[in-house]
Formats: sequence, C-alpha cells, structure tokens
Amino acid sequence: MSRKENALDLAKFIDKGVRVKLSGGREVEGTLKGYDQLLNLVLDETTEFLRDKDDPLRITDETRSLGLVVCRGTAVMMVSPTAGTEELATNPFLEPGAAE
Amino acid sequence: MLPLLLLKTAQKHPVLVELKNGETYNGHMVQCDSWMNVHLREVICTSKDGDRFWRIPETYIRGNTIKYLRVPDEVIDKVKEETYKRDEKRPNVFNRGRGMRGRGGGRGEGRGQMDGGGRGEGGRGSGGRGNRGRGQHQQL
Repeated sequence: MSRKENALDLAKFIDKGVRVKLSGGREVEGTLKGYDQLLNLVLDETTEFLRDKDDPLRITDETRSLGLVVCRGTAVMMVSPTAGTEELATNPFLEPGAAE
Repeated sequence: MLPLLLLKTAQKHPVLVELKNGETYNGHMVQCDSWMNVHLREVICTSKDGDRFWRIPETYIRGNTIKYLRVPDEVIDKVKEETYKRDEKRPNVFNRGRGMRGRGGGRGEGRGQMDGGGRGEGGRGSGGRGNRGRGQHQQL
C-alpha cells in the first residue's frame, strides 16, 4: 500500500455534474471544473440543497444557486456523479417479495 | 492483522460504510488508500434514520468521515492466507530488519522492499524505493 496511491480519480468527472456532501451537512451539486490531490474542488453553476429547518439531516427540494465555488478539501465528505443517481421509493434491502 | 490491510483485501468485495453522520453506503469497494478514502461502485446510500434510499453508480468517500466499515467474513480468511504466503516466502524476516530503517518505517511497505531484492548496499538504496509498494500490489 504505497503512500502515494490515491483512490481518487476525479478526472472522469471533469465537466460532468457531481454531487458533493460537505461536513456539517450541506449538499451541493455542480459541474466539476477542477480538483487537486487535497480534494479541493472547483464547481461551476453550483446549487445548494437546503435542509429542513426542523430536521437538518433531511434535505428538501428547495435549492439556492451559488454559482462558481471552491469547496475546501477538508470539508468534502463524499463525491459522486449526478448522472445515474436516483432516490428509491422502497427499501432495497427488504426481500424482493416483501417490498411489493 | 492490520486494519488497512484488511480493507485493501476487501477490494472487489461488497462492503458497508457508515459515516460519522450516520449515513451508510453499501457497495462494492473498488479501491481504498492509506487514508481510508474509499471508492465504491453500485452504491445504495441510506439516510441516518434509515427511511430514505438512493442508488448511486459510484462514489468517493473521504476516509476521515468514516465511522466504521463492515466487510464480509471471507475477507478475513483471505488476509490470513496472504499474510501466511508472504511470511513463508521470507522465513527470517527479523534478521533482515536493518533494511527497514529509513523511510519505510516498520510497516508492510518496509518488507515489500526486501521482497523485490532491492535492498541496496546503503539500506535506503534507490532500487528499494521503486519496488516498495508495487511488489505488494501484485500480491494482493
């Protein structure tokens, strides 16, 4: 396990939509314009998903536009592509028959 | 058994990752690194309260946000097997410990260095640098 090795390969997400979760609970989505090995990110046309006032864990459909932002790497928790991400209506861990 | 070695062996296996914020991610581990950053594929994300779910094709999770990971039992056996194989190849590892001084530290990396036969006269020989890590890669 070399120290240099990096599980990170964000090159394929460049100019694609990515969703980023930040520590503290904010979630943003934007077009990845750049990144570095510290996981600092440059996102363009970013929108933030606002959270429920009573339940900060829960994100709502409300958004606000942030424009061009730099996300500091230390605050980034998770990065995933927007494409192909969907919320599921049912619990996928239940037995196939039980969910119906 | 080193935690990160177990994790590295868990690559290509399904794992569950729980973050400090309580969200869990179930998916196949593609890769992990020495910071415990993990790259998962075919992920199902579950919210903290466990009643919302998302399907995500792949995701990159930063190691320092992880609370714990669950790995399948068979990975344990695989680690044992591989550690055994490795020790068998180099029976008296302890006598050669001097080569481990220097940048490699006492961890797995140091031993990989000798595996490649790259311990130069100087102990920190440059031949060793190239072999370190990469030799271990092939074993895993």
